[in-house]
Amino acid sequence: MEEYAREPCPWRIVDDCGGAFSMGAIGGSVFHSIKGYRNAPAGHYRRLIGSLTAVKTRAPITGGNFAVWGGLFSAIDCSLVYVRKKEDPWNSITSGAATGAILSVRNGVAAMAGSALIGGVLLALIEGIGIMFTRFSAEQFKPVDPTQMPQDPQQLPPKPLFGGEQTSNSYQ
Amino acid sequence: MRTFKVTRMRTCWLGNIWILHVTKFVFILANFTQSFPFNRSQMMNSKQDPGGIFGGYGMGDPNVGLAGSPNSGALLSPLHPYLNVDPSLVGPGGAEYIFPEGASKTRGRFEMAFSQIGGSVFAGGAVGGANGIITGIKETAAAQLTGPVRRTQMLNYIAKQGASSAQALGVVALMYSVFGVIISKARGADDELNTLTAATMTGLLYKSSAGWKKCGRAGAVGFGLAAVYCLYTSKDRIKGVLSSKGYDSL
Repeated sequence: MEEYAREPCPWRIVDDCGGAFSMGAIGGSVFHSIKGYRNAPAGHYRRLIGSLTAVKTRAPITGGNFAVWGGLFSAIDCSLVYVRKKEDPWNSITSGAATGAILSVRNGVAAMAGSALIGGVLLALIEGIGIMFTRFSAEQFKPVDPTQMPQDPQQLPPKPLFGGEQTSNSYQ
Repeated sequence: MRTFKVTRMRTCWLGNIWILHVTKFVFILANFTQSFPFNRSQMMNSKQDPGGIFGGYGMGDPNVGLAGSPNSGALLSPLHPYLNVDPSLVGPGGAEYIFPEGASKTRGRFEMAFSQIGGSVFAGGAVGGANGIITGIKETAAAQLTGPVRRTQMLNYIAKQGASSAQALGVVALMYSVFGVIISKARGADDELNTLTAATMTGLLYKSSAGWKKCGRAGAVGFGLAAVYCLYTSKDRIKGVLSSKGYDSL
């Protein structure tokens, strides 16, 4: 049920932006609390203060950067859905690459190409893993050929009296 | 596999909507035929019945509304007689929706959380950006900047103020959502108390490192905003309570 709970397209941008912001802010809190603790001067109290200060100043910035990434990604994704009239993994991969390129547009063409490559490969990995999971989980719902199903054991021919291995493979 | 899932979702959704529309249409039809001028006298006869907006159905006459009964005529019930039921007698009034089994009638806090956080981030960015435009115009005019320098400075103002207010609002929304989800999961209920508690705790946490005074003030602001919101969202219920009290005193 959770899988079907995604927003329809224009609102998906807001949704993804919020999800990315939460991810970045919570992850940034953990990351910067550790980093601030390690970077602070000696003494437990000072380390805690340093950790808290780092979280307060840096975690929202991390969250904001994530939010920009998520919002832009989702906006491009929705635009591609609108233009191409279909939803497939190529939308995600393309929008990942385009997001990477757009966010490093001030750093020159080479940096844009690099970021686009990283974004595209990352999203291709994510999509690939998703497809793989779907395929594995779909395997157990595969329709079974009724002629290959195991039959009622009461109607099977009796075991041969001195037989060793049974050669029939219709029970598998 | 992916396309299969998407199509399945859409059909489900469409199916729900379709049922909804059909139900609504049936009720509209029933309502329309009931308020047709030919039946005016009959409605007047059954005035004392608690019929609601769907018109009174004469309780004394079991044949009312049934096709072929002598005093109803063909116009009164073109529908199947079993559909000619006052819906307010069957269930509570209000909009009638069909929900999947086990699903709650509104989305829970967790389902709403990401949209709310994202909306807050967007709103903060918009407000901060507008603020940045105003500040930028003032500051660049005061510094007598022109051309590309002014443009770059304006962009800096807009981006910086937009980002900072988007971050601030987003963090507030994130705290509120986290508190709200935790409280509603812990209590197993989702009501106004959760909203008030979560908002107060958000205010306290947001200013928790700024001293007791500011912390308390932020908590009070959170509580006040939540109280206003709760009053606004439940104004119909409050009205109902007040009016029923008036009846009691009479």
